[in-house]
Amino acid sequence: MQLRDYIIRRLMVLPILILGVSIVVFTLTRVGGSPIGIYLSHEMTPEEVLKIEERFGLDKPVLVQYIQWLKGIVSGDFGWSGVASAPVAEVFPIKLAATLELATAAGLVALFLGITLGTFAGARRNRFPDHLTRIVAVSGASLPQFWFGILLLIIFWAQLGIAPIGRSDATIFASISHPTGLYTIDAILAGSIRALWDAIWHLILPALTLGYGATAIIARMMRSALVEELQQDYVDAARAKGLAEKLVIKRHARRNALVPTITVIGLTFGFLLQGTITIEIIYRWPGIGRWMADSVLRGDQATLMTYVLFTSVLFLLVNLIVDVIYANLDRRVTLGK
Amino acid sequence: MNFKYFIKYLSYGFFAGAIALSPVTVIGQVKNPGLLVHAADDEPTTLDPAQVEPGEGGETIILQVYDRLLDIGPASAALIPSLAVEIPSLSNGGISGDGLTYTFKLRSGVTFHDGTSLTADDVKYSWDRAMEMNLPEGNAGALSDVIASTEIIDDLTFRVNLSEPSASFLNSTVVSMVASVVSQDAVEANGGVKAETPNRFMAGNMVGTGPYKFVVWNRNENLQLEVNESYWGDNAKLDVRIEIGGDPDVRVLGLRAGEFDTIETDPSFIADLEGADGVTIYTGGLLLEPLHIGFNLNIPKGSLPDGDTISEDFFHDPRIRQAFNHAFDYQAFLNGPLAGYGAFNPHYTPIGIFGHDADAPVYSEKNYAEAERLFREAGVWDEGFAVSVITEEGNLFALMCLVLKDSIERLNPNFRINVLAVAESVFDDAHAQNPLEYAMWAKNADPAADPNFYMQAYQHPDGEWGEVHGFANGYRDAAKVGELIDSAATELDPAKRSAIYRELQTILYDDPMWLIGAQEGVVMAHRDWLKGFAMQPLWPRPSLKFSFFDK
Repeated sequence: MQLRDYIIRRLMVLPILILGVSIVVFTLTRVGGSPIGIYLSHEMTPEEVLKIEERFGLDKPVLVQYIQWLKGIVSGDFGWSGVASAPVAEVFPIKLAATLELATAAGLVALFLGITLGTFAGARRNRFPDHLTRIVAVSGASLPQFWFGILLLIIFWAQLGIAPIGRSDATIFASISHPTGLYTIDAILAGSIRALWDAIWHLILPALTLGYGATAIIARMMRSALVEELQQDYVDAARAKGLAEKLVIKRHARRNALVPTITVIGLTFGFLLQGTITIEIIYRWPGIGRWMADSVLRGDQATLMTYVLFTSVLFLLVNLIVDVIYANLDRRVTLGK
Repeated sequence: MNFKYFIKYLSYGFFAGAIALSPVTVIGQVKNPGLLVHAADDEPTTLDPAQVEPGEGGETIILQVYDRLLDIGPASAALIPSLAVEIPSLSNGGISGDGLTYTFKLRSGVTFHDGTSLTADDVKYSWDRAMEMNLPEGNAGALSDVIASTEIIDDLTFRVNLSEPSASFLNSTVVSMVASVVSQDAVEANGGVKAETPNRFMAGNMVGTGPYKFVVWNRNENLQLEVNESYWGDNAKLDVRIEIGGDPDVRVLGLRAGEFDTIETDPSFIADLEGADGVTIYTGGLLLEPLHIGFNLNIPKGSLPDGDTISEDFFHDPRIRQAFNHAFDYQAFLNGPLAGYGAFNPHYTPIGIFGHDADAPVYSEKNYAEAERLFREAGVWDEGFAVSVITEEGNLFALMCLVLKDSIERLNPNFRINVLAVAESVFDDAHAQNPLEYAMWAKNADPAADPNFYMQAYQHPDGEWGEVHGFANGYRDAAKVGELIDSAATELDPAKRSAIYRELQTILYDDPMWLIGAQEGVVMAHRDWLKGFAMQPLWPRPSLKFSFFDK
């Protein structure tokens, strides 16, 4: 089968898969309980509850509710978020952008620190710096994020007052437009150094907290890979040529050690996205993690269904892309069989 | 300089600059001058007066941005003029002799935040709008239950005709958030009025006449208000940013750090703030939301949760309801979960509102001897029972239920209380049932400025809860209770009205339909640099008007 035919076939199957996912998402969410609770207040009479059910179409049979939900999705209406007090479709992109920005910043922190520490330790195997780096790495992997986050908050925000909380200074944030929802990018697009500084300044603590755990993983991977590379013949050859040890590591060993590390870095981004829930709650970061946590606790099913559907569809698309890339790269992979 | 050193020095410069530019705390220095930062514990669900639920976070914002005809001042429960220039009374002709017509003279020269002028037409429009929309989550009933019609006499005179005399009309209806005056032009330009349909624009935007203008609401993040420089009264001094939600510990940290000027908290966090530099803990007054446990006298057959052994008519016997009231360890609840901030009010008139009788009998001490006597008389002592109480998890209500469990199970090992602490949405769903499939539930009352609200909602046999709970099945004299409450509602002579409530408080002590754990104390922490701090429990929670503050 030709690659083009394979892609077309997969794309044709995709809507059926998405429909299947939507059925599973809808059913599982409803099994968890009625979606009406989030829209009710404590003192409503049964007649008032009925009116609310009518407003949200919850008085109809479940099958009809499902079809209405699907129709809504097709027309861009994902329902009303009781937690955010706004349409899900309106809030979702804003929250997603905030979370992606935080996860990306944490990824950069983890990348920079992880590779630096890993190289530092690998080049000084079994010496004091290696042990020290191991302690840093192990603590990064084992310290609970909520504890580490609150610790940093107490020191740098509450005690020293040198770090902010939240995503932005409200006044500066309001002074620029937000076409992408990513505050740093929007600040650059607006040409506002003040806004860019504000965005970075607010990112530092949460990104550091979130990135610390991933730093540990990357640093340990980098160290192991570097140690292995430093035992290769080509490294001995470079040393024999009289190349300085720093250059041997920088130009030869580190470059090769990065190959397996990059695989881990890719996987780490998923870990970072998962970790944003705790960080967003602690640092008052208005992202999707905090929104989802509130939605789970308060039973905001419209929001939860959108989120689960979004991640499921994303997963399907990423799988498709990966399959296509594999097929393209490795001709031994047989398409469509 | 090579690239490596350039990067190194650039990094040093970056961090040095970061520290130099960072908001370093200097003890005693006011942070965020010109801005009040209030950390709230929850998100508004709407900013529309016609949609907001009493006691909900949106009321806090509506209080600041909209005005009403009358208001309640910070110092006492007395009414003060607001958009109306005087308080209608029989003596000034504002109230007709039969008590059915109220005439309000409006302030001239008042403008809305959109620049349009306030007239009687706006007031009529605002009230009629809320009644026409009649949203189930809102409080339109506060208007429609008593108002027969509204009239415009002239540009600055507004008249209301009531369906029957109401002693609580001014201090309950007129000051309520649903009676806020909105800009007719703004509403008509943005969706107008549709029956039983929320107005999306008004739910997320505000155009009022109040001391603050609405700026922006960033969901789950913050809500910003700015000073209305054209306000008809004294201008507010500080712009406002309300930080929404987040971890309560972080709010406490933020107050200690001076990042927040006021925070919403509960008594359990007070220990973290006591003795903190620059922090004042305000503990005056009591909230008007008594914490209560309801007894259900209308349980559908076979509907109780597994494990409950009581019969459906268990709470029909007044001795059992009395025994529960006697067995509860009030002091343990007050000194534990409430950290000592609270008091005990008679059934069902909170301390601080008209009609409260300081000499009325009150359940305030655990009395095991009396509880045992009553349980024995009711015939349940030897056999014992198991009964569930449903509540929200992780808050004072759940703790009140645990105190009840401890109190009852200590009294007799054959007694068992199952505390069903569930998520808020699950509780709301269960709580809205009629009939209710639980024998007991725990929550707090909605706040109100007049005793008629509490009596109608929580005691009247045909009232909101009286009907759901089947009070008529249990009162020794349901007709008398109903008649007394109805007569107090229409009695315009304060002395006579007060006497009726006094009698009711005694009757309801002997024939309780609730167990009132306590009337929770007001606990609020703020920075020392905040001037003009005042709380008024009759204002919507957290009972603050930001326009009084300065720093």
